[in-house]
Amino acid sequence: MRRYHAIPLVPALALVLMPFLPFVDTDALWLGLPRMMVWGGAWCVLLTVALLTAERMMARDSAAGERNQP
Amino acid sequence: MTILVYTFAGIALIGVLGFLGRRGPTVDLAEWTVGGRRFGTMTMWFLQAGEVFTTFTFLGLAGLAFSGGVAAMYALPYVPIAYVFLFFLARRVWSLGKARGYLTQGDFLEDRYGSRLLGTVGAVIGVVFVLPYLQLQVTGLGLIVKLVSGNATSGTLSMIIGCVLVIAFVLWSGLRGVAVTSYFKDAIMLIVLGVLIFAVPAHFAGGISAMFHKVAQLHPSALTIHTGPNDLTWFVTSMLSSAIGVAFLTLPHNWPAIMSAKDPKVLRRNYTWLPLYELCLMFPMVIGFAAIVVLPKSTNSNGVLLTLSQHALPTWATGIVVVAAIATAMVPAAGILVGISSLVARNIVRVRNERGQFWVNQGTVVVACGLALLLGIYRPDLLANLLLLTFSGLAQLAPANGIGFLRRRLVGKWPVLAGIVVGIAVVIYLTFAATTMFGTFNVGLIGLAANLIVLAVGAVIERLTGNAPVPDPPAVTNAVAEIELAA
Repeated sequence: MRRYHAIPLVPALALVLMPFLPFVDTDALWLGLPRMMVWGGAWCVLLTVALLTAERMMARDSAAGERNQP
Repeated sequence: MTILVYTFAGIALIGVLGFLGRRGPTVDLAEWTVGGRRFGTMTMWFLQAGEVFTTFTFLGLAGLAFSGGVAAMYALPYVPIAYVFLFFLARRVWSLGKARGYLTQGDFLEDRYGSRLLGTVGAVIGVVFVLPYLQLQVTGLGLIVKLVSGNATSGTLSMIIGCVLVIAFVLWSGLRGVAVTSYFKDAIMLIVLGVLIFAVPAHFAGGISAMFHKVAQLHPSALTIHTGPNDLTWFVTSMLSSAIGVAFLTLPHNWPAIMSAKDPKVLRRNYTWLPLYELCLMFPMVIGFAAIVVLPKSTNSNGVLLTLSQHALPTWATGIVVVAAIATAMVPAAGILVGISSLVARNIVRVRNERGQFWVNQGTVVVACGLALLLGIYRPDLLANLLLLTFSGLAQLAPANGIGFLRRRLVGKWPVLAGIVVGIAVVIYLTFAATTMFGTFNVGLIGLAANLIVLAVGAVIERLTGNAPVPDPPAVTNAVAEIELAA
């Protein structure tokens, strides 16, 4: 497993854990919305950021690999 | 009357758009099913997103939020979680498909395990478990029209006209027709949801925030996952089971869409950005929360979005909402038909010549949609029972697909086949005979556990008896590796 595999796992884990977090699964609101909607929505956005980062790292790794070839 | 005019005009418009997708006459199944593997980012975006937004997401999620509150949020994370997996898998799957000429999931299973039997079994499972999903779209169309017109005959008539047009444009244009109608579907759906998410809460509660404050005050349990049919166990296990199903490409109608990409970069780009599009799933949920405040608990949950639209919007605007709802039924139905027909033609009937295969495919489109329509009209409850099996049953193909994606052959066909059979048997038993044995735990996951145990035991027996699987021939491995490197 490479470093770029781990980055998107963070938001994925945050989404899986969503119903277990007591400060998320509560009847209080954030920004006038259910906390679960805010938490889920925010981590979906961050998932895209994580995948963009992973893609950039993969491209950098493959460019470095090509440079190191004899 | 005005709404009925919009309804039938909408059905006709979707049919016309489907016809416009055609690029010229063809009797080539690869051109018809996967558009000659030439689809770019934009087309792929709408094809992939189109699979997510069906009548369930448009009407069903509003209903689930109405009946179960934030439990409806189970539908938000599973697709993005699966996309993480598919993001890394895209190049491998696409390259295998390109090198080995796959059009269907059955082609993949047959080739990776060197077994026609496994290809056929995979195809039969795909067809049997997806047919109820097709019927769901057809009956959903009738339900929409019946709800807004209050007339059962109009509902049945719309189902018939809708099915005839879907069959006609799918036969004429294949996956390209699905792609063109998907543009329209997503555009109108986003506009409608964008209006409804503000108009409905504003009309009934003075705005989104005010509405949620009212829910927190009057129905606080709706904002948390609480005991009942949609409890924490249901939430987590349904989310995981659905994520596994999507991540391992167990839904047969996903395959033509993925195989149609011109290169894996297109797929990867879409898997990166589609989680943002998933946020739209929360729009119908907001409408469902508005219904909690406004409608009595006894209201038909599937109809809450349309009921509130009728109260909050003028008639012409409700007509547009109905057209959007109809599109979420007709367009996915067309995509499912492409998936079913190609499985039958390639992996079940197995006609040798290409022309014969194409005509079997076309015949299957008519028969499958006709069957879904007839059952939808005369026996709507018959397939409804099978629908319970759709996702749990298809999830049993996940181990077979997952092992097939690997470069090394870990097991042969028999352990995989035995795992699938046992997994499906467990799912059927728990769904129909022992419905309360595991409470709200998703039966698909239990079937999957049994499936994996049988597969592992089978793999051990295989090794002990000296029947370990033979590796791929070097020519095959090299051909796939070359395409992967070039992509």
